[in-house]
Amino acid sequence: MTIPHRAARFLRVLPAALLVVLALVGPWITPHAVDEPGTMPFAEPGDGALLGGDQLGRDVLSRVLAGGRELVLSALLIAVVVTAAAAVIGTIGALRPAVGRVVERAADVLILLPAVLGIMLVALSWPGGGRLAVAVAAVVLGLPYAVRLVAHAAAPVAASGYVEAAAAGGERLWFLVVREVLPNLRAILLALFGLRFVAAVYVVSMAGFLQIGPQPPAADWALMIRENSPGILLNPWAVLAPSAAIGLLALSVNLAAAALAPQTGRKAVTLL
Amino acid sequence: MSPTPDQHRDTAARLPAPVAEVNGLGITASDGRRLLGDISMSLRPGRLVAITGPSGAGKTTLMRALLGQLPPDTAHSAGHLHVLGHDMLDLGERERREIRRTKIAYVGQDPASALNPRLRIRTLLTELNTDRTPTAVRDLLDAVRLPAEPRFASRRPGQLSGGQLRRVALARALSKRPALLLLDEPTAGLDPALRGEITELLRRLTHEHQLAVAFASHDADVVAQLADDVVVLGSDGARGDRLKRPSVTSVAATGREPSGADAGAAGAEGAEGAEGAPVLEVHDLSVTFGRGGEGSQPVLDGVHLSVAQGSAAAVVGASGCGKTTLARTLVGLQRSRSGTVRLDGTALPAAMWRRSREQRRRIQLITQNPLGALNPSRTVGSSVARPLRVHHRTPAASVDRVVEDLLNQVGLPPAFADRYPHELSGGQRQRVAIARALAAGPDILICDEITSALDEATGHAVMDLLQHLREDRSMTLIVISHDLPLVRDRTETVTVLADGRVVESGRTADVFADPRHPATRELCRDFVT
Repeated sequence: MTIPHRAARFLRVLPAALLVVLALVGPWITPHAVDEPGTMPFAEPGDGALLGGDQLGRDVLSRVLAGGRELVLSALLIAVVVTAAAAVIGTIGALRPAVGRVVERAADVLILLPAVLGIMLVALSWPGGGRLAVAVAAVVLGLPYAVRLVAHAAAPVAASGYVEAAAAGGERLWFLVVREVLPNLRAILLALFGLRFVAAVYVVSMAGFLQIGPQPPAADWALMIRENSPGILLNPWAVLAPSAAIGLLALSVNLAAAALAPQTGRKAVTLL
Repeated sequence: MSPTPDQHRDTAARLPAPVAEVNGLGITASDGRRLLGDISMSLRPGRLVAITGPSGAGKTTLMRALLGQLPPDTAHSAGHLHVLGHDMLDLGERERREIRRTKIAYVGQDPASALNPRLRIRTLLTELNTDRTPTAVRDLLDAVRLPAEPRFASRRPGQLSGGQLRRVALARALSKRPALLLLDEPTAGLDPALRGEITELLRRLTHEHQLAVAFASHDADVVAQLADDVVVLGSDGARGDRLKRPSVTSVAATGREPSGADAGAAGAEGAEGAEGAPVLEVHDLSVTFGRGGEGSQPVLDGVHLSVAQGSAAAVVGASGCGKTTLARTLVGLQRSRSGTVRLDGTALPAAMWRRSREQRRRIQLITQNPLGALNPSRTVGSSVARPLRVHHRTPAASVDRVVEDLLNQVGLPPAFADRYPHELSGGQRQRVAIARALAAGPDILICDEITSALDEATGHAVMDLLQHLREDRSMTLIVISHDLPLVRDRTETVTVLADGRVVESGRTADVFADPRHPATRELCRDFVT
């Protein structure tokens, strides 16, 4: 791998890294208090408040800085759990067709359940669950799609000569999954992680918008969009800033995932 | 030796203009290793050029350069390469694709991996063809000696044997009526009769369609029979001498001589080996592909086989008779419909994952296809070391040394342990696969056409190694091959399969001396003992 190639890869990973770090340390570097009014409600930017004030006159910039950490953490957690679980379940399904059929039928049933309905169901039946309830719902709802994708991607690898050779050589199922099949699916798993992260961000923000999970007066990007939408004409930044933060986060993480996928070389042997 | 300028002008005047010309071509890997150096050749309509050289000499790399598609991490370092007047290595991607699509046909070393498993044979043959009528399909199938019936054309690649796939790939390449045909090991893994047919076919097609053909091969017989010109690559990718067509007699003499010497020894051992207790017994084995419903023919039908401990048994038969299926069923990769496989008298479960680790270790299979046999994400060393660790047959501290030994035994330098499969040629990968199977320390080793991707010298060295292990460790060898001289020299008993049934079996020498069944006679036709 040449140096310019590495530099290009680094540049593509950088935005996501910066955003995630900013969201994680944000609560400690807020210029103003997060929960006390400092300006007029929906005050325009200026006068010590770079992005103006929100519905209660609290500093928008401070609340944006403070409101990302939990969203980012729960979205990352959901994406990691979904991708990892799907990688294992999907690959086992590909290696053991009998298991695969059961998994696929189960996934079909879960896919039929609308996401919003699923989240409300979990949140209502587990009122004290808060973010954990949202995360559990997002994992359960995201898993079927991911499993199907991995199962289909793993099928040709599971049928390849080297997996057969390893199986015939006495390897156990776990080794086949972790060492023989999954390393050859790195590109797909990274793409899947990016997609599941975006989906998780949307599910968590949607839950926040519906006030399942974080409750006012907590600082939270999704909650801010909902709370401040009535005043969008007075101080548009109170809505635009958290919206842009959610959008940029989703975009940059996907960019990074694509950059980390292996390019050529060790991918499946060229057929030509 | 390169011709003098005078001769060159002379030949150039008589021959049609070249379709492709290579002048002093050099290709290097990103780490500076020279893969090809100073190669020159011309490909002209109606002429066949053979590219030969030992395994790893750069035959496939040269083919890929002609396609304008160098392997990743390699660069064009010297010389020129023109195809139909275009500089293939310096052309825009779009134009290059256009030329590849319309003018060049390529059939790779492993045709099975180049055929989409989901498409029917009919679609594979009409996809690139301007003429999409059933007649065109029939003619193509006919041209490559496959059954030209609609039922065959409706099959998918997974339902064909290795030899049949190769012919389908060839028919597919011909279907677009190319000007330049590139073939990588066109006859590897074919039985002698079929090899004769394919070489005859290639010769005919070359003249009829005025194709310019380049083929890579390490089979000296095929090169001698087929090639108008020969380009020999040295082992380090340096250009060897450009030879004139070698005489058939000299090649046949060098190629066959060592085998003749071994024949007597193998025959003498045969009597002793046949008396040992059977380590593997196959009883009434039947295999059917698919659901076993409408019109599905059994691939194996009531196969019996008994192999004595420490013996070498061969399974031979025409392409498509079920040899590979038998091998896969023995190791459990293919489930049988009925029948039993007994190892030392214990019946083995049909499904592989129900077999114990020890049972799996004892029977190892080396497959025909060297490309898919190694995990692209793992180094050669880790692939070979894994069976050593799994079965705890080697103390952890000495694993590296044993890996080095194994690579050495199959004729690869120890430095190869750090390479990834995509950095290896087909023959080198095959040798790594052999080393990996040996690492498990099997009691029974099934070799499915393992020498077909190797040049003659390496092939002999590998078979010598296996024979040595057989004598030392009383390992049992089951050899599946089209290579009848190899079967004659290296095995004691032979089983002849035809259409999934055992039609003849017995001592190798007896069967070849006096073939009873028509199928055996057909096999022996081109092969004089």
